[in-house]
Amino acid sequence: MTPTDERPLTRKQFVATAVGAAVAAGPLLKETARAATYRTAATARAAKGKVVIGAFKDGGLVPFKDKIIPLFQQETGIKVEFLDDDYSTFFEKAFQDGVTKAGQFDIYVMDDPWMPQYSSAPVLQNLSKLGFKPDSDFMTPFLDLGYWPPKKGARLPQFRSDAPQLYALPFVGDMQSLTYRRDAFGQAPKTWTELVSVAKAKMKPPQTYGYVFRGVKGNPIVASWFPVFRSQGGKIFDNNWKVLWNNAAGKRATEFFVHTLKSIAPPGVVEYDSDQEGGAILGGKALSIVQYSGNAIKSDDPKQSKEVGKLAFGTVPRGPGGSIAQIGIFISGISVSAPNQDNAVAFQKWFVTKKAQIALARAGSLPVKRSAFLDAQASKHNRLQKTILAQLNAGAEARPRTPDWAKVEDILGTELNKALGASEVGGHLDNAAKQATDYLKKNGYYKT
Amino acid sequence: MTAAAAYLAGRRRAQGAGLDRVLPYLLLAPTLLLLLAVVLYPIGYGIRQSFLNFRFGHAVGSVGLDNYRQLFSDPAFGQALWVTLKFVVLAVTIETVLGLGLALLVANELPFTRIARLVLIVPMIVTPIVVGIVFRLIYASDVGLLTTLRTDIFGSGQVFILDKGWSAFLGLVALDVWEWTPLMFLILLAGLQSLPIEPFEAARVDGAGDWRVFLDQTLPMLRPVLAVAIALRTIDAFTTFDQVFVLTKGGPGTSTQLISIYGYNTAFKFTEFGYGTAMLLTVALVVLALAALTVRLIRRQAVS
Repeated sequence: MTPTDERPLTRKQFVATAVGAAVAAGPLLKETARAATYRTAATARAAKGKVVIGAFKDGGLVPFKDKIIPLFQQETGIKVEFLDDDYSTFFEKAFQDGVTKAGQFDIYVMDDPWMPQYSSAPVLQNLSKLGFKPDSDFMTPFLDLGYWPPKKGARLPQFRSDAPQLYALPFVGDMQSLTYRRDAFGQAPKTWTELVSVAKAKMKPPQTYGYVFRGVKGNPIVASWFPVFRSQGGKIFDNNWKVLWNNAAGKRATEFFVHTLKSIAPPGVVEYDSDQEGGAILGGKALSIVQYSGNAIKSDDPKQSKEVGKLAFGTVPRGPGGSIAQIGIFISGISVSAPNQDNAVAFQKWFVTKKAQIALARAGSLPVKRSAFLDAQASKHNRLQKTILAQLNAGAEARPRTPDWAKVEDILGTELNKALGASEVGGHLDNAAKQATDYLKKNGYYKT
Repeated sequence: MTAAAAYLAGRRRAQGAGLDRVLPYLLLAPTLLLLLAVVLYPIGYGIRQSFLNFRFGHAVGSVGLDNYRQLFSDPAFGQALWVTLKFVVLAVTIETVLGLGLALLVANELPFTRIARLVLIVPMIVTPIVVGIVFRLIYASDVGLLTTLRTDIFGSGQVFILDKGWSAFLGLVALDVWEWTPLMFLILLAGLQSLPIEPFEAARVDGAGDWRVFLDQTLPMLRPVLAVAIALRTIDAFTTFDQVFVLTKGGPGTSTQLISIYGYNTAFKFTEFGYGTAMLLTVALVVLALAALTVRLIRRQAVS
């Protein structure tokens, strides 16, 4: 080793060398980056780019993921990046993405109650302005949920005089219907009274119980309470946002839920969420349930159901208020910050074509267009379709169209959960009504 | 050395001294900038948000201190704060007692203590959300581990933890104790092992028994470490979120609705960002005050 080799690098030499190297490397890095960008753009052009679809995890989207995405990619050459997340996580992630214009997603696949919040912000693009003209083949109750402000029902004072604009298109025609054990009921119980009486006669605790539902506070219990409450004659709001759930009819309807139905449900139903509820009907522990299609379509799958061949579908039993199921469709809109807007538009248009909708129906999902609902081959593969059509005719209703539904649902769901724990309505509906009214008043709902 | 050479040498020294003065700041600058970007800016942004009113996801105007005033008239906030305080006091107390007990056992080098040490820290390294899921599977009244065990042992009978307010709350405390007792154990074990031997030997020579040694020697000398451990756990327990989110979502009713859950729901689910931020900043101030108090106590102990 020579003495020169042993000489340490001085601080000044180090700084000077580093600066010199950075200056020299600058143009080189710039050229490399440019080349990389060029290559990426060239590759993207060759493959017609991509579209990023964000959604929440749900069994109802499995046929879409498995069959429809590959079909779209094959037909259009556009690559689909499908990013799904837990329900609440995706709700906030997508909303923040739109508000901050981060551009993580092109299309949001939402639960329909999110629509008022997403379109009033707005974090969705106005599809009417992008040239979307929905045809008459759409199922009207589903399509109406894509408009803001809503076409029917109560409106927020701020949007009272605005013309409804299309912000989203129905994606999966999800809604509730009755699933029951054929060996216990024979045929679908027509009324709630019939359901309870047969269930009481046929249930054999602790092996089987007559009915199962979700009791966890918030969205889960409200979703289970809704069809019972509405069919029993309860109403949530009037057209001026006056809370009605605690009037005499509402209390009677809720008493039926927290007392009568609880008495034929498995013990511990207060803590049941969708996993336990679904497990109870598919595992043979419950004889009947009003549930969404995501779990119902598993009934004939031997990998997921112990009761293959025993479970049948029907409309929600009738009560004094009729037979009313909750509509809870998946609905999709284009983000205001969509990085691949043209591809997003292309996807939205392709997805609601008759061909794509029939493919969706044949894949086992619930379409949003009438022609696909009436497709014979699809009905053969998915026996739930006929029931859903029948339920749409019998009665189906979406949740109130307000951006504040999440808060109202939380208030109502917490008090319902308390009432369920106590097996009686008590003052819980009044408490919920007062809290919700105060909240809505604070946010200007009652201004004339 | 000529005058010119001396001048040049002096100038070089001066330049070197200048660089010496500036270089530390230059080297610190990237870290400082990063800290400013990821710590101070979000805090400042959050404070600013807490004075705003949000509607439809956007700020629609300043409301001054209204968001902070609202805290005093919001019964849900009061309830969540009360549940959080109960949770923190109960969980941290049990964790401290258990952690100290385990540390004393392991510090005595009884048989199998090495294995015990390893096993004891396992819960701490499991992700909180996984802990929540595991306990949900343990507590589930239909197919949960407790129900299965009871059925196997007694032939029948379900175990209900999450369907009543009080039992769900205790179930949550048990989860936290299982997860975080190891942290107390580790800190206190390190504290015990760092204590000098002489006072203990002197006490033994004087005929003191185990209990007397513990009360007169171990506990007083361990007090600063105990204070640090309790402070750390208290601050951490105030921010418990994932486990509750998975296990109970704050229910039944509001029995397990901690302030973190209520704040999260307010800010992100109900998009009341201003009020949610005001709420969480207030809690952060309370926690900060507690931490400052603990540090002061520790310093006082050290001085005495």
